Amino acid sequence: MEQLGVLQRNDASTQGKYSVEVKHVSKSYGETEIYTDLHFQLLKGTFVALVGPIGSGKTTMLNMFAGLEKPTSGTILVMGKDITKMSEDSLGEFRAGTIGLVPQVQTLIPELTVRENVELPLHFAKVDDKSRERKVDYVLEKVGIRGESKRVASTLSVGEKQMVSFARAMVNDPPILLLDEPTESLDPLIAEVILGLLRGDNLTLGRTIFVTTHDRRVTELARKTLRVKKKIP
Amino acid sequence: MSRGVSLQEGQLLARSLNVSKSTHLVVASLAAAVAANAAAAIQLTGFAGQIALLALIFVTVAAGTSAISSDIFARSGQTIANLRSIGASSRSLSNAVFFSVIGYGVAGSALGGGVGAALGMALGGQGGAFSALFAVFGVILASSAAAAAGVYAGGRRNWSS
Repeated sequence: MEQLGVLQRNDASTQGKYSVEVKHVSKSYGETEIYTDLHFQLLKGTFVALVGPIGSGKTTMLNMFAGLEKPTSGTILVMGKDITKMSEDSLGEFRAGTIGLVPQVQTLIPELTVRENVELPLHFAKVDDKSRERKVDYVLEKVGIRGESKRVASTLSVGEKQMVSFARAMVNDPPILLLDEPTESLDPLIAEVILGLLRGDNLTLGRTIFVTTHDRRVTELARKTLRVKKKIP
Repeated sequence: MSRGVSLQEGQLLARSLNVSKSTHLVVASLAAAVAANAAAAIQLTGFAGQIALLALIFVTVAAGTSAISSDIFARSGQTIANLRSIGASSRSLSNAVFFSVIGYGVAGSALGGGVGAALGMALGGQGGAFSALFAVFGVILASSAAAAAGVYAGGRRNWSS
């Protein structure tokens, strides 16, 4: 089993400094153990990359941070809240306001337009109409896809979909941004746009960014790199 | 923070979950058929019979809408997983399904209830206009409550964690 590493030791004097606290977390699928007794914290505003072979559980960890998968044991605090004890409905509301997720697999709703896809998280977070419009306009502009806002998602290229996913993750100004292989399978031009956004203009600055990747350009941007060495059998 | 669902959110989610015109038609037809029969029969029976009929409406419509809701959620598994990842809850999705179909359920109930009430009077219902009115309101109320219960039960059953 891999211990991913410790970013910061537990210290009562630093309460509130962490965006994610992983406390003695184990995760298994049936008999297959993925992680055993993980214990580390992510400081607020830090940029951490998680690297490792395909199938080593990187996405599992990201999903646990997002509350999409529960650990087998242990607790995960996100912005001080224990997400392992939340009900599904509470978790949904918490996720809408706290976490921006850019998954590896495209998760846009194909029937909706770019704009409608991007504004969905704001509906779940119960943001009022005026603020919603302003936030969507802002993020579409920053990501550079405002001109595509009326296009239906099913007509977009892979790269365009990734940019829309990024805009959707950022639209509610979440303190935590989780990205799963954000530059995978993208043409160099689009990958460069994503890297530019991660490089830290005022769209991503000050957020905790946790990214799984194989791309050295992404790890070079990160302040800390965690490695999972072993592939799960 | 409101826990309801706005019209726009409901429409977006209903489109995301592919709640189609066919679904609306099924809900309206089911409600109309049940309401027509019940509104006619309710005028031909005593108080206990009326209560029993309203209960029957509730159970029938709840079972039907639960099945419809369950079907919507079951065939939209991937969409629901996608919506979960950006903050959707089972409540928000069930709200969306409910609000997208309730109008059609009420319209079907009203139409069926009206036809049934007229039929009941023609068949010799003793209560007159008041009884007919009671029948229509009763079936609309029972079927709306049943639709709500059915949609939420169907959604909850299919919500995977």
